[in-house]
Amino acid sequence: MRISQRHARYPFFEVARDAVEAAELSLPSLVAEEAPAVERGRERVERALLAGTVESETPREWSAQDELLSYPIARILVSLLDSEAAVRKYAAAEAETAAERIRADVETGDDGLRSTGNDGVSLDEVLAEFDLAETVVAEGSARAGDTPQWFRVGVGAYLDLQDPNWGDDWRLVNRELAEGRVRVEREELYRLLREAVARRVAEGLPFQVRGTDAGDDLADALEEGLDSLRGLLADRGRIGSIDVVVPDLFPPCMTNLVHRAREEVRLAPHEGFALMAFLTGIGMDTDEILAFCDASSLDREGIRYQIRYLRDERGTQYPPPSCETLAAYGLCHNEDEHWKIASHPLVYYKKRLAAADEDSYTDWRDARQAKTDEAGEGVAADDATDEDALGDDGSDADGDGDRDAAAEAEAVAGADPKQDEQS
Amino acid sequence: MDERTREYLTGRFGDYYRRAELTPPPAAGEREWGHIPWTAGSGTTMIRHQSLLDLGDLGSYLAREAPRHVYFSAARYDDPGASTMDAKGWDEADLVFDLDADHLPGVDPEETAYADMLAEGKAALVNLLDFLEDDFAFDHLDVVFSGGRGYHVHVRDESVRELDSEARREIVDYVRAIDLDEDALMETRPNETGTLRDTLRAEGGWGRRVHRRILALADEIEGMDDDEALERLREFDGVGEKTAGNLLTAFRENREALEAGNMEAGGAKRLVKKLLPEVVADETSPIDEPVTTDLRRLIRLPGSLHGGTGLAVRRIPRRSVADFDPLVDAVPDRFTGREITVEAAESATVDLGGETTNISAGENTVRECVGVFLMTRGAAEKATE
Repeated sequence: MRISQRHARYPFFEVARDAVEAAELSLPSLVAEEAPAVERGRERVERALLAGTVESETPREWSAQDELLSYPIARILVSLLDSEAAVRKYAAAEAETAAERIRADVETGDDGLRSTGNDGVSLDEVLAEFDLAETVVAEGSARAGDTPQWFRVGVGAYLDLQDPNWGDDWRLVNRELAEGRVRVEREELYRLLREAVARRVAEGLPFQVRGTDAGDDLADALEEGLDSLRGLLADRGRIGSIDVVVPDLFPPCMTNLVHRAREEVRLAPHEGFALMAFLTGIGMDTDEILAFCDASSLDREGIRYQIRYLRDERGTQYPPPSCETLAAYGLCHNEDEHWKIASHPLVYYKKRLAAADEDSYTDWRDARQAKTDEAGEGVAADDATDEDALGDDGSDADGDGDRDAAAEAEAVAGADPKQDEQS
Repeated sequence: MDERTREYLTGRFGDYYRRAELTPPPAAGEREWGHIPWTAGSGTTMIRHQSLLDLGDLGSYLAREAPRHVYFSAARYDDPGASTMDAKGWDEADLVFDLDADHLPGVDPEETAYADMLAEGKAALVNLLDFLEDDFAFDHLDVVFSGGRGYHVHVRDESVRELDSEARREIVDYVRAIDLDEDALMETRPNETGTLRDTLRAEGGWGRRVHRRILALADEIEGMDDDEALERLREFDGVGEKTAGNLLTAFRENREALEAGNMEAGGAKRLVKKLLPEVVADETSPIDEPVTTDLRRLIRLPGSLHGGTGLAVRRIPRRSVADFDPLVDAVPDRFTGREITVEAAESATVDLGGETTNISAGENTVRECVGVFLMTRGAAEKATE
């Protein structure tokens, strides 16, 4: 079987698995030869854990065969990491990348104009791959060649793939359910497919690599370089919530990253990851981090992407690496011998907060909050005026709701004179 | 319950099972079985973790044991007889719904008469079936009278048998309209000319139910003169003269837009929020959540006897649901052929088998089904004949 771009782009498809088998290549010998697929397999896992994608940073370096074979190699590596978190993060990253590729393929369409020439898949093929061909039907009569906007998904499959934690609009109760099918938009269908891919990838992981002579040899050969990945995952101490943002007390390694980003130095992916993990770890939400990193070399989409990934879907967070791990990546140099205080950025920060007098620092949020309120007040008040004009018998609940919000915003902004001073 | 009563009921339940036509569920061998025997005292002991292999032939087993209550698991297991849940190896489970009069609004278990409870339960069952057949389009439904105060529905469509507890909770919440977001009923959609319109999401779900109600109201209005129609519309809380006028115009002149879900005309979107509570109250079904979300639940066996009423747990053919009267149709034939004497603690009235029996405190000679009903409920003891 010829190894195609399709196999390379969707290595978890059945046909791709078959292609790997048909290629009659032994993974142990690939590893022993240090074939490019092995290097790419490492990159695959590292990118998955650090950046939430398995897309290569240097895609031109790899052949279709390297790409395809890097997938089984990556599965061995993830199995060797032997951690539920690693499997989850890895599967999520494979799924994220796959979903983007599916979207690209589907929306390019099979019209012969494809510029990439990468042998893309059709939506029907993807659905068939996950046994969803029967249960998902396109709505209406889209013109030939048009990708439909709406689909109906069998309620069993919908409930199986959906997670109510994705948001209230995913809850079945808020859905158009009729004749056993749930109405979803195309983007939502991609989300469901992403979940299907993640499950396919996670299936059977981690598996036992060691235990036979051949397995032990394979594991030994791949062990090198696993330590740093393991380090990223092992730092899962319970640090407790912090929820105070005082940049002056950040550990030196983090301060260093912040400064460099603000001087418009482009951070390496693992540097950005370490910083985002720290900011998330001290309790900042997406909007706050975006505001905090405003006017820096970090781009907003990249930040959003990493935060989404850092926040585990189950609500637990992916904690930032320890100073030791950061040192292994050349990010922490034990500046000012801060390891003496604590060798973990979060613990260090927590200790410095505890040692500092509460009146001696200002929470970065307070300053920001005051500004936001000032801006927000005007907007909310406008809304209320609009609704007033609409209501003809004074019964419109919407109008009241917005007026309340406006009143509340006023109250918050006016309540604390200190905040006004800061802004 | 005294010993004579217990022995009598055990004997008669055994007689029932010797002739009973049992209707075991599909894949009976992959299910866990359990029963509660007749025992002295008020405590009940459930004997469970049994497989059909342990029991042998179901009919002769029941005839021999004559248990007070009989159950099987909604779940199918690799090893249903294993003594721990982990060791059983869960494969899948029927989706089960339970409507118990205890949980019905308007029912006070202490006050409401048994017949009224059952009627309430039946109304809730009809609502539930509407969801299951229309919204969910399930094909394999077993509707069962529980023999006690309610109804069970077993759904065995393949597409739901592997759903986890969380997914089943989504189904419960849908039926019960829990966390229904009234704002999510509307969305801004382009109409056929591409203009964005506030549109009711009427293609399914609760949006479709509200939509139907609005169209029904439009039908109702159509047959009225203007004054009558305006009066009807003003019945809605907060609808004044002006709004009612606008709505009437929309109903009269913009029917097509309404049918398409466009709620802009005449401010019809106000009606959505006003009608929603009514639609929910009328159409929801107060199913018991823990029963549906429990993947390892034991459910009464259709065809068995309920040890708290002496009524049969009856599978009801779908076409017969409307006419099913539990107080007639669930009375076992076995208990209608003769009279027995019981000692009642106090006076009572029992409606069974289409006849009303007045019971006075002390000895009464009554149809056997009435006697069994009173004894199983603890309201009478067997008297010597």
